[in-house]
Amino acid sequence: MPVFSTVKQKTNKSCLGILSDNALMLQVKAGDLERMSLLFERHHKTLFGFLFHLTQRREASEDMVQTVFYRMLKYRNSFTVGSNFSGWMYHIARNVLKDENFGLYSRYDPISAHEEQLAGGNLADDDLEKKQSRQQLYAAMAILSEGDREILMLNRVRELNYPEISDIMGISQGAARVRVSRAIEELKKIFIKKGIKRDS
Amino acid sequence: MNDCEEYKERLADWHMGRLEAAAAEDMERHLNNCADCRETLAATAFVLDSINNLQDPEPSVQVKADFRMMLDNFKAKEKKSVFRDRICSRLLQPRLPLAYGLLILFGIGGAYLLGRSSKQELEGQELHAGVQEQKQTMLLAMLDNPLASERIKAVSYTNDLRKVTDKVIDALFTTLNNDPNVNVRLSALEALSALGNHPAVRTGLIKSIPTQDSPVIQLAIADVMLNLQEKDSVGSFRELLKQKGLDDEVKKKVKETITKLI
Repeated sequence: MPVFSTVKQKTNKSCLGILSDNALMLQVKAGDLERMSLLFERHHKTLFGFLFHLTQRREASEDMVQTVFYRMLKYRNSFTVGSNFSGWMYHIARNVLKDENFGLYSRYDPISAHEEQLAGGNLADDDLEKKQSRQQLYAAMAILSEGDREILMLNRVRELNYPEISDIMGISQGAARVRVSRAIEELKKIFIKKGIKRDS
Repeated sequence: MNDCEEYKERLADWHMGRLEAAAAEDMERHLNNCADCRETLAATAFVLDSINNLQDPEPSVQVKADFRMMLDNFKAKEKKSVFRDRICSRLLQPRLPLAYGLLILFGIGGAYLLGRSSKQELEGQELHAGVQEQKQTMLLAMLDNPLASERIKAVSYTNDLRKVTDKVIDALFTTLNNDPNVNVRLSALEALSALGNHPAVRTGLIKSIPTQDSPVIQLAIADVMLNLQEKDSVGSFRELLKQKGLDDEVKKKVKETITKLI
């Protein structure tokens, strides 16, 4: 019988000596705009990943990363002491997606586009197995509703927990929890239907 | 024994380490005794792992360079406007009579020099007027371009125009109120806010408030009205608040704006 125990512990990002994201953003707000470059270093890759997984468009996602950072500079005064930087950034990212008409993900067209995007060899692993499972996942995600897809992609960002996700989506924490677990259930069903298993 | 359904609902949270210590221990105790939940866990964990282990592709190096350029431009622009604000506030607060004196002296000197060179200037001006007209025609034509980037360029040309005609203002408002691309609308708003001294621009902007549906524009227009201290816009903002599905952040900002303007 397997024995389960808690091994994971939430990592606390704000170690001594390193300024937290929130502190940096407050400095940006106070006029030290250069601080934004540190925040860019820390977050642009994850943000790009989020946008890419949702749109399957490399160039559009890169443009949207710029737009998100531009808007954070421009609307820096709307960041307040109580705000959570990651939550705020993904909130803006979601608006940018909507403004760029990706809100409906009508252009979500995984495998072919995905193959094409990755043809440049931008993903380090050329491992056939990994590639295959990635394609399977993208194909399964294409069947999900856009809302489920979005919440699962938010859920996988390490810096975001239910309080932030609920803020980003404008729903209660309880509702966020329910929507995440429903989306997982949906994806599970699709996995079963498509016969996707751990060892496949 | 608790209901399995309850445990199953929290399996994903447990797997992602999001449960409180006590709840996690409770879950582990249950899992050790319930084969059914263990099976569900295996499936949930597989789905979660395949999502969470999905690799983020590397953005191209261009992204970093573009960011650097954007940040530098933004800083330069900001510096300019801070400098301008400072000069304006100095002039408006007569704490330095000496500076005023100097200004008048320079003014007289300048007027003298200007008078001397007015003849050459006249020819230059005529030439300039031609260029200006050309620019205006180009601007108006480019606003109809199907490419959003071209339309943004067109809007930015208004900065170069010495005298902005009613025709241009009309075109800018058509863009602000109808352009399908939010970035183009935003740049039209920026161009128009720079023309805030023009009474027609002010009333046009006020009229445009309740028709905007993008949160970015709504936030930006609130800032513009605050900058212009346009009290007449309060009615339009109240109307905007009635809009269905208005973003919470926007709601907050609009309410703030109204209280600041009143």
